[in-house]
Amino acid sequence: MKLARRKFLGLGSAALAGLFLKGDKRIEGSFVNDSFPRGHLLRGRAGFPAGKRVEKIPVVIVGGGIAGLSAAWRLRKRGFSDFVLLEMSSQPGGNARWGQNEITAYPWAAHYVPVPGPQAAYVRELFEDLGVLKNGQWEERYLAFSPQERLFLYGRWQEGLEPVIGLTPKDRDQFERLENLFREFRQSGSFTVPVELGLSSKFQDLDGISFSDWLRQQGCDSRLLNWYMNYACRDDYGALARDTSAWAGVHYFSSRPPEEKGPLTWPEGNGWITRRLLERVGGNIRTSQMVHRITETRRGASVFAEETEFQAQFVIFAAPTFLAPYLLEDFPPLHDFVYSPWLTANLTLDRYPESRGAEPSWDTVFLDSPTLGYVDAMHQSLRTHVDRTVWTFYWALAEGAPAENRQLLLEKNWAYWKEAILHDLERVHTDIRQCVSRIDILRMGHAMIRPAVGSIFSEERRRLRRRNGRILFANSDLSGISIFEEAQYHGVEAAQKVLGRLHG
Amino acid sequence: MGILVFISVLLVAACGLIYELVAGTLASYLVGDSVFQFSTIIGTYLFAMGIGSALSRYIHGGLANRFVWIELLLGVIGGFSSALLMLAFAFTQGFELILYALVMVMGVLVGLEIPLLMRMVRDRYEFRDVIAHVLTFDYLGALGASLLFPILLVPRLGLVRSAMLFGLINAGVALWSTFLFVDQLSATRGLRLACLVVLCALGTGMAEAQQITATAEDNIYADEIIFARDTHYQHLVLTRFKDDLRLFLNSHLQFSSRDEYRYHEALVHPGLAAVPAPRRVLILGGGDGLAVREILKYPLVESITVVDLDPEMTRIFSSNPMLTKLNDKSLLSPRVHVINADAFPWVDGNADSFDFIVIDFPDPTNYSLGKLYTTAFYRAVSRHLSAQGFLVVQSTSPMFARDSFWCIAETLKQAGLETHPYHVYVPSFGEWGFVLAGRHEYKPPTSLPASLRFVSVDGLPALFQFPPDMAPLPMPANQLNSQVLVRTYENDWKDISH
Repeated sequence: MKLARRKFLGLGSAALAGLFLKGDKRIEGSFVNDSFPRGHLLRGRAGFPAGKRVEKIPVVIVGGGIAGLSAAWRLRKRGFSDFVLLEMSSQPGGNARWGQNEITAYPWAAHYVPVPGPQAAYVRELFEDLGVLKNGQWEERYLAFSPQERLFLYGRWQEGLEPVIGLTPKDRDQFERLENLFREFRQSGSFTVPVELGLSSKFQDLDGISFSDWLRQQGCDSRLLNWYMNYACRDDYGALARDTSAWAGVHYFSSRPPEEKGPLTWPEGNGWITRRLLERVGGNIRTSQMVHRITETRRGASVFAEETEFQAQFVIFAAPTFLAPYLLEDFPPLHDFVYSPWLTANLTLDRYPESRGAEPSWDTVFLDSPTLGYVDAMHQSLRTHVDRTVWTFYWALAEGAPAENRQLLLEKNWAYWKEAILHDLERVHTDIRQCVSRIDILRMGHAMIRPAVGSIFSEERRRLRRRNGRILFANSDLSGISIFEEAQYHGVEAAQKVLGRLHG
Repeated sequence: MGILVFISVLLVAACGLIYELVAGTLASYLVGDSVFQFSTIIGTYLFAMGIGSALSRYIHGGLANRFVWIELLLGVIGGFSSALLMLAFAFTQGFELILYALVMVMGVLVGLEIPLLMRMVRDRYEFRDVIAHVLTFDYLGALGASLLFPILLVPRLGLVRSAMLFGLINAGVALWSTFLFVDQLSATRGLRLACLVVLCALGTGMAEAQQITATAEDNIYADEIIFARDTHYQHLVLTRFKDDLRLFLNSHLQFSSRDEYRYHEALVHPGLAAVPAPRRVLILGGGDGLAVREILKYPLVESITVVDLDPEMTRIFSSNPMLTKLNDKSLLSPRVHVINADAFPWVDGNADSFDFIVIDFPDPTNYSLGKLYTTAFYRAVSRHLSAQGFLVVQSTSPMFARDSFWCIAETLKQAGLETHPYHVYVPSFGEWGFVLAGRHEYKPPTSLPASLRFVSVDGLPALFQFPPDMAPLPMPANQLNSQVLVRTYENDWKDISH
């Protein structure tokens, strides 16, 4: 305060004068890593070259997201390295991809993993492997630094994302009632991570209605509570509460103990995990390999990628499941696999915006914004002095039908989305345009599986999980919930099945 | 004649608005919370104008004389309002009282102006024309002032001189009115003389405004400022009163030359003298070279590495004669290596081992500094500690921030170190605390460098005794993901100041 005061006294009010001199900064940027063009080749069943080369290899993993990388990690860890992982894009990682500029590394999608509970045994094993968990202790510098989250509401900042200011007694009562309900669900032991371990038909009814209907049944009509529940669904599922299965809504709040430690995170988000996995399995990965056909034979399966036919004994299909009907012969069309479209943007900031009364936080959310706010990549820096940073801005296009929103993603140009993003940020950070020098935007038409009503207990999904044969599915799509732990679980499980059958 | 009267209205309206804007801007800058300040000041001002208008009905006769006096008074009060408020903020406790009193007085006077003017010219025009013209020019004046204020006045003149300029205009209107309404005036010569006196006073004020600002600024830092600089990282101010030099970083006192020897002797000697044959020493923070000065008293020490974030800080303490006199040119010693880097990443990226490590950072007043007081940081630092080595941490006051002090001690403990907390009295700081830590038992040294002024072999054991009012408290360790220390520290000092 005194510093500012002195400056003021000394300089008259140069700062005020500045207000009148500022012009808008030029903001660069573009769309990045678009997967539309290649994906649409598949949809159009374009003619692909016939296999010119044949490679015989026992195991082929299709897809280099967390599921595929985890399958590879398990294979290598068990001493098996006779496999290839084929990744369509030039950079593996899927929803755990990252980017890097002269300031910092930053995430392109998933940016944290909650501290895993005892049931997430594979995740714990991985984290011990990566030095995140040492002698039962979580490495401090990988836990999200405090202050972690802040919410902007009614022109003010609060710590934490669950609204705590401006609550009426009715709001408070409903929050408390829900918390008690979630505690009971938690104690039932049926809502687990990974999902498969606890899944019980006892709660199948919940999957038959939407989360918003369920909330209504519980007498929850508080506006703030509904905002928060919708925020949770948009954040984890890319969907509104009315498009989310009540089972999944309950799972979000009941699957983990109320965790004080805060999640595990890194400047590049889950990209850090991808990097560590690549250090371990990178030698088996082939990037820019567009798989265009997979055929099952009696003794194995053939994977056609670019001009090569990989003749394998087993194929782990770790690409998004919606691609299966385009790649696998005689694969029935899917009905219970809905995907949420997303947009993420990385904003390069040459300085932080002025924000009085706000502590610099890891995750920032605005009440009533259609977007999910942003995460500050430099928050996890060990430096005490930070000038420039990168913000990762998240936007699940949840309002309306996914197909229409995918169309919107395709049709609107970069400038349109840039303006939409700045417009959202400007409501709170009025000087944001003076801070940002670059905005890169990633469009993801099928960003994540959506736990729509009826999808968790869907017969289609169950069949896919139990599938026996030469092609095994491994993906968080199998759980119906797109989180790191699910992808990793199914990846590891598939690898173990393959190892068992190869050696058995 | 007509247009001249209405130009007076325009100028008078502009003056009224400028005073209001000056008060609002100053208050929101000095006190903060601009929405609150502007709302209450505008409200008070308008309310006072209402009182002025109401009072105008009690003024009978001699309207023109009264009007000229009101203009003069407003010129003086409004003109000097900005300077007065700055000085009030710097020198008194009652800034708000003076602010609102001033706003009330100015509001009442401004409220009187227009009703009086209307009555003065009502015989010359039809009533409806008087209303229309006077109000038109009143609002025009307000528009002009509200545009001029941010675009020209504040950036070009600053607040003090802007107010004075409009004081001059008020007084000018007064003088002008003595010609304009000469037929309605009595004792015209006396009035004109008064106008000239006020004009001179404000003119002088305009010329001296710089001095007023400087005086106010000097008083915010009680002593003479001999050096002030905004470096890339912090605001650095050096003050002097007689032979006392004081360094402030971001307005927090870092040392006073009168008693800093107590602080720096206590920081260095209890630990360093207990290390057998220390050769390599690391200082994190401490770009003032004062701890280095103490360490240089050990002839066995071959190398001292100083890691300080701010190159400006180490540069000034290597070159300014007053400061190098204080630190005995310690930073220029060939045994000293200055590295300007952020401490945590530096510690992480370096593999050297040290026999003694001094951690001398500013108090944990924010989350950035809080990172340098965590188990993660102390673990990283302790990897650089040689087998016989110790590290010492400046740990704020165990008296004023008792929770914080014991939180730092607990943090070091949970980082796997054995801790030995101690405290000293430094007059300019009060009771101050340090935590000595290492991987083995600590025995107070039996010999110390010669010529110490404070720390002595006999006095050492007493430093490790904590009286009941500073005794240990059970506190959690500070971690990157909890940052309990920053919150604790804030509460500790809040408790003191209330």
